[in-house]
Amino acid sequence: MPLETEATAQIRALLDGLKPNDADLLEALHRVQHRYGYVSAEAMRVVGEQLGLATAHVYGATTYYADFRTTPPPQTLIAWCAGAACRLKRSDGILRALEAVLDIRLGEPDPQHRYEITRGQCNGTCELAPMAWVNERVVARITPARAITFARALAAGASTEEALTAFEHSLEGGNP
Amino acid sequence: MTTEASSAADSFAELRARSEADWESWQRPIRPRIDIALDTSSISAGAGPVRDAIERESRARTAAVDLGRMVGVGLQWLNPVVAITWPDGTRVLYGPVKPEHAGALLDEATGRVGAAAAITIGTLAGSRPGVPRVFDHPFFSNEVGRRLLARIGYTDPESLEHYVATGGYSAVQRMLTRHQGPEAIRQAMLDAGLTGRGGAYFPAGTKWTFLATAANPERYLVCNADEGDPGAWVNRIILEGDPHLLVEGMIIAAAATGARHGFIYIRAEYPLAQARVKQAIEQATAAGFLGTGVFGSEMDITLEVIRGAGAYVCGEETGLISSVQDGRGMPRVKPPFPAAAGVFMKPTNVNNVETYSTAPLILRNGSEWYRQVGTERNSGTKIFSFSGDIERIGFTELPWGVPLPSVLEACGGMSGGMPLKAIQAGGPLAGYLPARLLSELTLERETFVPHGALVGSGGIVFIGTDTCSVDINATFADFLEDESCGRCTTCHGGNQRMTEIFRRIQLAGGRREDRHNLELVGNTLQYSNCVHGQASPTIMRNTLRFFSDEYEAHVHNGTCEALRCTGFSRYRVVDQTDPRLPRAQAICPTEAITEDAEGYRILDERCIRCGACEELAPRGIALEAAPAGTPVPRERAYGSPGGRQR
Repeated sequence: MPLETEATAQIRALLDGLKPNDADLLEALHRVQHRYGYVSAEAMRVVGEQLGLATAHVYGATTYYADFRTTPPPQTLIAWCAGAACRLKRSDGILRALEAVLDIRLGEPDPQHRYEITRGQCNGTCELAPMAWVNERVVARITPARAITFARALAAGASTEEALTAFEHSLEGGNP
Repeated sequence: MTTEASSAADSFAELRARSEADWESWQRPIRPRIDIALDTSSISAGAGPVRDAIERESRARTAAVDLGRMVGVGLQWLNPVVAITWPDGTRVLYGPVKPEHAGALLDEATGRVGAAAAITIGTLAGSRPGVPRVFDHPFFSNEVGRRLLARIGYTDPESLEHYVATGGYSAVQRMLTRHQGPEAIRQAMLDAGLTGRGGAYFPAGTKWTFLATAANPERYLVCNADEGDPGAWVNRIILEGDPHLLVEGMIIAAAATGARHGFIYIRAEYPLAQARVKQAIEQATAAGFLGTGVFGSEMDITLEVIRGAGAYVCGEETGLISSVQDGRGMPRVKPPFPAAAGVFMKPTNVNNVETYSTAPLILRNGSEWYRQVGTERNSGTKIFSFSGDIERIGFTELPWGVPLPSVLEACGGMSGGMPLKAIQAGGPLAGYLPARLLSELTLERETFVPHGALVGSGGIVFIGTDTCSVDINATFADFLEDESCGRCTTCHGGNQRMTEIFRRIQLAGGRREDRHNLELVGNTLQYSNCVHGQASPTIMRNTLRFFSDEYEAHVHNGTCEALRCTGFSRYRVVDQTDPRLPRAQAICPTEAITEDAEGYRILDERCIRCGACEELAPRGIALEAAPAGTPVPRERAYGSPGGRQR
């Protein structure tokens, strides 16, 4: 019986009931990410053992999907909607503004892992365009100036909640 | 009838009687009930805080009112919506509702009718003087009676009883107890003319026969609920609003094909749909509709939900299958088709949500009934979702063949009276057609095909004249590159090249040979293994054919009429007297606005063309065409290169 670290044992418990050749890999990765916020190298190994797959196979699947992370999530994850309806409403300018204020590029976190912008995909709420999801919360009818107000609050060290409040305040006040 | 079958029939009759009583009391409640629409659109628009506010206010008043649940009926620009049902059966829809309307809604519910007049949309049941019927709204003018959406707005989406009370599971119960054979079921689908609603429109009955006649008796069903086309959300409406319809449809497909297990693959972006379908499966299992010996028959069928994790190409059936069976969603070359080698290399039938969900309607009402609407070549109805630069964004269920001008009219026309420029139907693989073809187009594949486009899966985006075709191409090429699985060099390389070329053109770097190279890339892409690569050049080809002048203006004249492309536009201070210029200067994220003795000035080489300054000082700052050679910060011109090919 090999020695198990506590973390390994925890991950194994999380995967209880999942078995090889039973279409369970995505479910396993979802469970790990839900619990830890990302899929670590250790988790990939444990998932592979549980499902009878090489770690490389699990790694291949993990990195294939946009939703699975291999690094801990940042404090603020901005999923910028890349859909067509948002694009018609000039969402590209909003992305450029966010990138400029936060000094990051789409898909690349800042060195301190405080924030990250990812591509969000259209879920059919186009009446709210242009939109984004900030830590899974819907932020609707964004304008460049409001995006900048939000991002500046983040860059100045505000929490996600505080930055969203700044955004909402800019909505109520008409303009920031 | 066997003993098991007769006792199953008795218990179904009992459930049905109980359900009918339950639904009757929901339609005519003892005291008024306020149903809050809880679907993704309504929740995104703020249904949660609305529910909390109504709950709080109701408790504070100790009002004799109950709260319930529903889903929105399609008028998404009026979200979030709620409906009040009174003891006499009158049901009225309200929206857009804000938390501060809680008091007015409670007044209205408890008898001060008219208190919420400002947000009254119309009646869903019964009548009220001066209040129109919801379905008389012009947005629904092309509908001919709801079939797939019949329960939307009229039941609690989480209630098995409401589904059963409205005829649910009666088709499958009758099918199994009367020993309607698999051939008869498949024939009914063929007679009805049901075709695959995912966009390929292959006859469902024929596909089911492939599976039914497969040599291996271990067979699977797969439901493709990986609805990834931007602007299409027709499957979500069924998954969130009437999940048992899909479950019943898959039981019918299982009976018709001999499959004993089904996977419902739902995309990651639809967590509520995943939860509702899981719950429906649990309810159906507890009721004996799923499991072993369903309805007392000899048939076994189980269903499970697979949660996707964000990959567009998993909507391609072989990509979806490889994603289900433990791995990356890598499509592969066909044949072998899934009917021969699908999940775990076993015979498999893959259909879209709407295709399975139509089966119960056909079995219950007959093929003749199904064909009563639609056209000669395309029978029945389909759900469509409408978005883009239109006044009314939402979904409706329409018969095939509705002229597109009527559709646009129902959508309230273009927002702010902006002229229509293009129609983008069916997602990034299906096409991009000019406004001048509008009068030739109907909601039928056959009217799109001669122009090199498709209707696709049901999302229709109307695009106004302030959008640039080159920008549209750069956007979709970038999407297709990002979502390529990376297996075929033609696809990942081709889409990379297409993205690079369009981005370079956007930065005023277009070259004479670009058109030729784009055509070359298009020809190469079509040799990809799956439809993702094969159809990737569709929008580009449509553009070069129908928007040739606009394309050439970018490459040869150095102009972007819509002023969308960063290489052809710049912001300029046009009125130094605008008192909001200091705020515009302060908001600029790149310090591109300077002030000197002559006033404010915008430095092109710093300006990222985000538009924040014009938003704050619309009189003082304007977007205008940039003369040749105007600098633009290239490194900030786009988002990252992206790409799934790791």
